Amino acid sequence: MSAALLDYYQTLAANVPNEHAYQAVGKQRLGLVELPNRKQEAWRYTPLAPVLEHQFAAASREEGLLEPADIASLRVTPADHVCVVLLNGFFMPELSTLPAQAGLEVLDLAQAIQTSAVGIERLGSLSGECLHLFGAVNAALTSAGAYIRVTDKLAQPVEIMHINYSFDGEVLSNPRVLVQVEANASLTLLEQHAAFADVLGMHNGVTEIFLGEGAALNHPRLQNDSLRTRHLSSLYIQQAASSVYKGTTLALGSAWSRTEFHLDFSGGHAHCELNGFYLAGEQQMQAMHLDVLHSVPDCSSRESFKGILYGQGKAVFDGNILVKKDAQQTDARLSNDNLVLSREAEIDTKPRLEIYADDVQCSHGTTVGQIDPEMLFYLRARGIPKSAAMGMICQGFAAELIAHCDYPALETKALSILQERLMPVAAAL
Amino acid sequence: MEHLLSIKDLHASINGKEILKGFSLDMKAGEVHAIMGPNGSGKSTLSKVLAGREEYEVTSGTVIYKGENLLEMSPEERAHQGIFMAFQYPVELPGVNNTYFMQASLNAIRKARGEPELNSLNFMKLVRTKLKALEMDENLLKRSVNTGFSGGEMKRNEILQMTLLEPTLSILDETDSGLDIDALKMVSKGVNSLRSPERSMLVITHYQRLLDYIQPDYVHVLSGGRIIRSGDKSLALELEEKGYGWLQQEAAA
Repeated sequence: MSAALLDYYQTLAANVPNEHAYQAVGKQRLGLVELPNRKQEAWRYTPLAPVLEHQFAAASREEGLLEPADIASLRVTPADHVCVVLLNGFFMPELSTLPAQAGLEVLDLAQAIQTSAVGIERLGSLSGECLHLFGAVNAALTSAGAYIRVTDKLAQPVEIMHINYSFDGEVLSNPRVLVQVEANASLTLLEQHAAFADVLGMHNGVTEIFLGEGAALNHPRLQNDSLRTRHLSSLYIQQAASSVYKGTTLALGSAWSRTEFHLDFSGGHAHCELNGFYLAGEQQMQAMHLDVLHSVPDCSSRESFKGILYGQGKAVFDGNILVKKDAQQTDARLSNDNLVLSREAEIDTKPRLEIYADDVQCSHGTTVGQIDPEMLFYLRARGIPKSAAMGMICQGFAAELIAHCDYPALETKALSILQERLMPVAAAL
Repeated sequence: MEHLLSIKDLHASINGKEILKGFSLDMKAGEVHAIMGPNGSGKSTLSKVLAGREEYEVTSGTVIYKGENLLEMSPEERAHQGIFMAFQYPVELPGVNNTYFMQASLNAIRKARGEPELNSLNFMKLVRTKLKALEMDENLLKRSVNTGFSGGEMKRNEILQMTLLEPTLSILDETDSGLDIDALKMVSKGVNSLRSPERSMLVITHYQRLLDYIQPDYVHVLSGGRIIRSGDKSLALELEEKGYGWLQQEAAA
């Protein structure tokens, strides 16, 4: 099977013309790469059958499938704000809202490549050459996605809406998003992966984010794909001196979901905050994979991840922080807390600090627990029925993390999805 | 007059260890009873058994509240029936907004009684009046329940809930512990504002101090899991002076 799947993706890639240089890197890599397997450290705890036992067809641009009204109900930003719609990975101008705004450039990635937009040569420079199978597939196939460049402090947020929806069977979407926040500019970039219909497809997205000196990006992400979708998001972030990145990923949907964060600092006094929440219930698998590299001195990072597991849900937290020899005065804190509501649920958590500098402050901590009986009794003693009390405890556990989004409309949406999912679970406990 | 609460020969244990060993008490509506006793006498066990903590096993005896078997009710049913326990150690609920929690509590109780639920606006009006009476900071409403609260803030928050829920039977479990004198006065003020011919209170305390502010009709001394002496409030003063030793010796004799 393995050889057949590799052949399949190689053939897919070979039939796609090269629009930019990085596609060749992807194609070459496809000829060398192994299938992901559990002997590889990065995939050790991630079940792979859901993504390796399907031959997903490459998505194509489908116009007229959705209407602007379909998007309106999914948005969390006001209707007149910039909203980029990527349907099966393709930039859809007729579904997007693209008002001109000083200090902001938003383009279809394909157009940015054709017109050699500023910084387009950065494409692929963070994701690099050592790609795994799906990274290589994305690199080889992709000239679609979005290009965002910010040169000012923007007050209005920008929203990106990913929708995977097709009648053409099991489709693989391969968007690539390039975000450049230039020196001293700032932006709130909201991303949603919305469940438009109950489809089986695979999302294989790559986002590369460059923060210039003194730049700031708040980046809340809500992954609420349909419960049959396979979802892989790889984020690559590079921070110049004194920049601030704050990313909050809420992974609620998908049958199989993996989010990879690859972050590196190129200048001192930069700060990054990576927050994540995952909900793994029923037959879901949620994986969070962190690769935070402190290669220069005087940077700080906070990584806080929380999850709720129920039913036969499974979650993987694989958090790595590497502090290199020269990265003195690094301040890094990693935590992972899990609330497990059933016997059948499984969490594999592996926080790891690898430190080669001698003057640093680093810590990590992990908890795996059940609903605290003291909390439950306190709520019940106040007249709140047991199932509602359990729901409140779970919501509270998640709400602390979700509040990091700093965008109330998105937080409310996430909490209401959570409540809808957890209410029947709490009632059955 | 029928008793509001009647406890007869109650035996209760936790982890196989018997703590209450034949506890009996009758309370009528409108009465305030104080339970005093040294550490380990069973004070906290009594309050937890009455509130319905499942870890405590009642091995024999009866508890009749408003003519019904209290021991068969779940903790939430007890709250619906008008029982409120102010916790000795209120529990932190990270991420659960204090106002949301109190509204959910009040509405759960109103719903169980067939009364209309309060909307957020009306609830806010109500909670603000109560808050003012207790001279509490409105910021406590915006925070997570008890999370990062000082000891005094937690206890005031308990009394705030009590004044909101207007219980028929309030159980104050060492509410005075860890309070400075100002907080103690404020807490007592809240408790006293609820005193009425319909409401009863069971004030559990280690020290006489609280009883200067909340004057009980009866004082009972708990030792070794049962009441060894009952009297009026002068008993509390006697205990303050002499300690518990003389009563325990008498009881043993």
